[in-house]
Amino acid sequence: MEIVYVYTKKRNEFGRQCNFSDRQAELHVDIPPDEKLAGDYIERNPCDTGIQCSQEMSEHELNTERFETESRGINHVEGGWPKDVNPAEVEQTIRFRKKVEKDENYINIIQQLGSVMEHCIQQNNAIDIYETYFHDIESDSSGEPPSAKTINVFRDPNERKRTATSLSWYPDGARKLAVSYSILEFQKSQSDTPMDSYIWDIENPNKPELALKPVSPLVCLEYNPKDPHILIAGCYNGQIGFWDTRKGSHPVEVTPIEKSHRDPVYKGIFLQSKTGTECFTTSTDGQVLWWDIRKLGEPTESLLLVPNPKENPRPMGGMSLEYEPTMPTKFMVGTEQGSVLLCNRKAKTPSDKIVCSFTQHYGPVYAVQRNPFFPKQFLSVGDWGARIWSEDLRDSAIMWTRENMSYMTDGCWSPVRPAVFFTTKMNGTVDVWDYLFKQNDPTLSIQVCDEALNSLRVQDQGRLVACGSHAGTVTLLELSDGLCNIQRNEKSSVNAMFERETKREKILETRHREMKLKERSKSQQEKDDAEKQDEESEEDLIQKAEADFFAVIEAEMKIRDTKEKQQMESLKQMNKTLTGDGNQVNNMNEELLEKDEDEVAQSPRV
Amino acid sequence: MDEFQSSEETTFVVDEVSNIIKESVEGAIGGNAYQHNKVNQWTSNVVEQCLNQLTKLGKPFKYIVTCVIMQKNGAGLHTASSCYWDNATDGSCTVRWENKTMYCIVSVFGLSI
Repeated sequence: MEIVYVYTKKRNEFGRQCNFSDRQAELHVDIPPDEKLAGDYIERNPCDTGIQCSQEMSEHELNTERFETESRGINHVEGGWPKDVNPAEVEQTIRFRKKVEKDENYINIIQQLGSVMEHCIQQNNAIDIYETYFHDIESDSSGEPPSAKTINVFRDPNERKRTATSLSWYPDGARKLAVSYSILEFQKSQSDTPMDSYIWDIENPNKPELALKPVSPLVCLEYNPKDPHILIAGCYNGQIGFWDTRKGSHPVEVTPIEKSHRDPVYKGIFLQSKTGTECFTTSTDGQVLWWDIRKLGEPTESLLLVPNPKENPRPMGGMSLEYEPTMPTKFMVGTEQGSVLLCNRKAKTPSDKIVCSFTQHYGPVYAVQRNPFFPKQFLSVGDWGARIWSEDLRDSAIMWTRENMSYMTDGCWSPVRPAVFFTTKMNGTVDVWDYLFKQNDPTLSIQVCDEALNSLRVQDQGRLVACGSHAGTVTLLELSDGLCNIQRNEKSSVNAMFERETKREKILETRHREMKLKERSKSQQEKDDAEKQDEESEEDLIQKAEADFFAVIEAEMKIRDTKEKQQMESLKQMNKTLTGDGNQVNNMNEELLEKDEDEVAQSPRV
Repeated sequence: MDEFQSSEETTFVVDEVSNIIKESVEGAIGGNAYQHNKVNQWTSNVVEQCLNQLTKLGKPFKYIVTCVIMQKNGAGLHTASSCYWDNATDGSCTVRWENKTMYCIVSVFGLSI
């Protein structure tokens, strides 16, 4: 079978008929080489070409559509009353309420809504959406024993080692530590002793971040708490300078030597002021000077530390300062003579400025600090111990540490725990005292180095403690959680402890005073009695006493003589009877003689 | 072959095309001196402008346009072409244009549909 399909299409539907033929090659252009034209060009050799091997980037900007927000408030007031009821009139509203409450529909609705409402309230009660989790677990750190570990050690990079005299933490985040270095021993520093002090990054002990280059070695330095770029520092020669770390190593300004202290500046503190540029300093020359770092030409104010001008006109040397920003006019000075002076800057006369003194230390007071939680109580460190005082009690401290074998050199409170303070000692240990835990001994005693420690400063968070040693080594310690987290009820129990001790000390003081009064009145009476006889009897009494003495002695001598005679007689008798045993007799003789001597010796006393 | 196809409407008129080429070269290059970084733009401008004008003629043709620009530095240039087409209707036109610094050679091939 054969199937054939025939497709038909018209010729014109195929398009034009192809009638192609070859066209001979055709030359379009023929430009011959022309060397004359080449003469118009100058060969450039060598050629400078810039190439870049970097990714090409482009920058684009775009603005997202702004979503505009707006805050609005609505004040809801009572409303919904019918037109004929005046909400201001009580009678009408009560009547309307009663009418509604009787309505059956109202009762039904209230019952329905009541269950819904109850459900919502119970939901709220069932889930405390503001609950904080695990808050009991935190306080558990008190169980573990207190400890501390050394994080970093910063050594004085110079050959000749100097003492790290003072430390100051960078106020903004405490990532840096400023350390002043100088030799405090008399005439120990030589002309080749370097003068620089350093600011360290606490992460990098290899190289100081910045060197401060003063004209005389720095003894104290302090960051400005308001502007962390600015430091003040006191020099060994008494001058005070201020540094701006943005402006480099050299001081921005230095006080003129004739207006400065005349002894090493042992402490400087920034005052609480609007500008944040005021500070005050003290030195062993017995002056406290106030400065404004904007013009260090002369002190704005000065005070001579003479608490008792009548009894002792010589000023006391200042060793340490304390200033609490919440009490802007008050400050305290720890002196070389062992007293702590409480001063008021705003008093009218210079003698009134020194309000009172607390004297119980036997040596210079190296540190004074108010408790950061209870500013009425303050800590002083000097001689062999630290003392806690209450401002009300001037005669005696309320608490004190046991006297140590070595001297204490510095101390301060923990900024986070009211019961904790730190002290450094000459034997190279840092003691951590937790007075809630125990008072006899430090809670933790860390041997930081072999030489004496000289300075101590706690970071604001209370976790890091820096201490500087005699040879210029600054050791950074990190305390365990128990020592830098406030314990539950710690504040109240510390307050109770301080109050109890203050009360005890007050009672003792009043008792002491009473005793003194009694004694004084007694001695007064005796004096009165004695005065009458005084003139006549004084010489007679001596003669009488002498006569009595000799009379007693003579009587005793007589007794002794008679006794000896008796003994000799009895001895002779015994000799006759016991001729053979000479030794025994001799022994007896000696014993007897001894007895007699004893009796004679005792008799005048009787 | 239809009677109306042989008229001027459907043949490749070389004069007309050569005018178009000259105009477009003048328009795109004009009196500019040879600049290496501009040549790319010039060639494409010439080609596009040419093609634009050619299509505006409204003839049933396919067109092929090429453009060569060469700096006048003394080198020689030779181009040739060969075609296999309908000799009666199709055609080509080559224009050589030059100024002080360059040669511009544009060829147009028109192929009737």
